[in-house]
Amino acid sequence: MSKRPTYEPHESPSLTPEVRVDLPREASEQERLHLDRPAFRDWLELRVGWYGFVRKNLDEPMPPGVGWWQTLGNLLLTLLMFQFVTGIALAMFYSASPETAHASVKHITFNVTLGSFVRGLHVWGSTLIVVVMVMHTLRVFFWGSYKKPRELTWVVGVLIFQVILGFSFTGYLLPWDQKAYWATVVGTRIAATVPFVGDSLLLLVRGGPEVGALTLTRFYAAHVMLLPAALMGLVAIHLYLVRRHHIAGPVLPQRGRPVPFYPNQLFKDAVVLLVGVGMLIYMAIGFPPALEGIADPTGTDFSPRPEWYFLGLYELLKIMPAGYEMLATVVIPGLISIGMLFLPWLDRSDSRHPARRQWIITSGMAVILLIGLMTLKGILETPPPHEVPGEKEEVVAAK
Amino acid sequence: MSEHEPLLDPIDPQRRKVMGAIVGVINLGLIGAIVGPVVGFAASPMKSKMKETWVELMDEHLIAPGEIKEVNFSMRVVDGYHEVERKYTVFLCRTEEGVLCLDPACTHLGCRVEYQSDRRRFICPCHGGVFDEEGRVKSGPPPKPMDRHPVKIEGGKIWISREV
Ligand code: HEM
Ligand code: FES
Repeated sequence: MSKRPTYEPHESPSLTPEVRVDLPREASEQERLHLDRPAFRDWLELRVGWYGFVRKNLDEPMPPGVGWWQTLGNLLLTLLMFQFVTGIALAMFYSASPETAHASVKHITFNVTLGSFVRGLHVWGSTLIVVVMVMHTLRVFFWGSYKKPRELTWVVGVLIFQVILGFSFTGYLLPWDQKAYWATVVGTRIAATVPFVGDSLLLLVRGGPEVGALTLTRFYAAHVMLLPAALMGLVAIHLYLVRRHHIAGPVLPQRGRPVPFYPNQLFKDAVVLLVGVGMLIYMAIGFPPALEGIADPTGTDFSPRPEWYFLGLYELLKIMPAGYEMLATVVIPGLISIGMLFLPWLDRSDSRHPARRQWIITSGMAVILLIGLMTLKGILETPPPHEVPGEKEEVVAAK
Repeated sequence: MSEHEPLLDPIDPQRRKVMGAIVGVINLGLIGAIVGPVVGFAASPMKSKMKETWVELMDEHLIAPGEIKEVNFSMRVVDGYHEVERKYTVFLCRTEEGVLCLDPACTHLGCRVEYQSDRRRFICPCHGGVFDEEGRVKSGPPPKPMDRHPVKIEGGKIWISREV
């Protein structure tokens, strides 16, 4: 280790003063960086600052009490990587038109080598991201970590949340099967319930009066260009802010001094990644993604349903009396979004302790309970998906 | 930052202000030049208009009084960059006033309703909308009766007009 002073931990207990005396004087970092023939790492360090950056991140202080709950953010980053990589792979075989979309996804699923697996990673990855993102949000909420000076970390997080939901909504249409088509017919009609501008908004979202070729290209452009670009920017800001303010400790400061991120927290992160990614792979293999029959605007044997995490909204729409659907489509989701965005300013208490911010915790729990119950109701009441019977055999046999 | 020369002569504050303002204006122009065309382009479907087209469905005598018939037909419609044969469904029903043509899209959020002849009701599978045989809301969240398409009978054939 003594040859790599840039990596040396703060206080290395193994180097007793006597040993140090015996060592030749080491070139200072500045001297080493400017040697005529520097070692590669010093050459790189001068130009890029890479090792300093890594060291800074490995030394990131973790207050005592930080642990498993703080690993979720890194799991999210990893899952996002999976989405990006599998998404690029899928895009190589996917073709975004009503004539070809369904056939290309069918081809990916049944003919392309590892196609079902890669598609499975992407489909299950999206679900896992939503689950982990909700857990991450809840942990930040209950820990009160959104309080000064981390308000904007939270706000950017809420924007990320919405972008992720945008990904699900636009991605759901791409296979152009029955459930894709009908979920989008119904989902986009939500835009039409917005007062005054609803009809124009519907045309804007659909790219025309009906869900068709232009809806598909529009959703595809959003799914593979617009939203990824937005997400990358937002995640970069999020991480910058997380580093700038360091991770918040537990609500009640615990005894002890902060320890560096490496190795304890990094190890926990790695364990969680192992479990999370393991689960993802297990789902992708064990429950390969389905594909229903091609979108058919005339078919009747079909009850449309959205992705499961939108089922809460779907149920809310059921119980709204006639003429009040705007409450469920605009007002309630709008209030929840605004409430989330402005949470750091709605919560005026100085303390992060849950007992000291009762009304925030109570209203938060009420919203969580509402969404949870509605989603559960939706899940219990939706019939299982009907797949095209014999589709797989037929296609495999045709090969 | 030791490699940098110290900044020389203190820059004239007036100069900073004026040039800063010019840069600001140029930047606004640049933003406009990027955002303007793209927004106009992407939002162009907001101007799209539907036009009424008449199609012939079937012989008039094929539908008995009080009967409800589900009719599938297709029309050539322009779908963005190409013209396609698109399938549609309507429900025809003969009442005392004549033949009614009901659109199967639920007026709530657009799911396709299904006719249940034993109950003589149109049922929406999505959020439980129920309509009677003339398309009036009987229960559930739909805010208005089912849409009707204009019908005409010419030469013993039923024609309807649909906006596409
Ligand atoms: C895919 C999306 C997201 C990624 C990749 C991400 C990433 C991260 C990472 C790596 C951390 C530090 C480690 C940790 O606390 O787990 C973090 C912290 C944080 N995140 Fe996120 N996050 C995401 C979504 C969100 C959302 C949706 C919110 C809130 C609505 C949010 C709010 C916060 C806040 C306030 C912190 C600081 C916590 C503290 O200092 O204790 N994040 N995020
Ligand atoms: S779409 Fe028919 S009840 Fe909602």
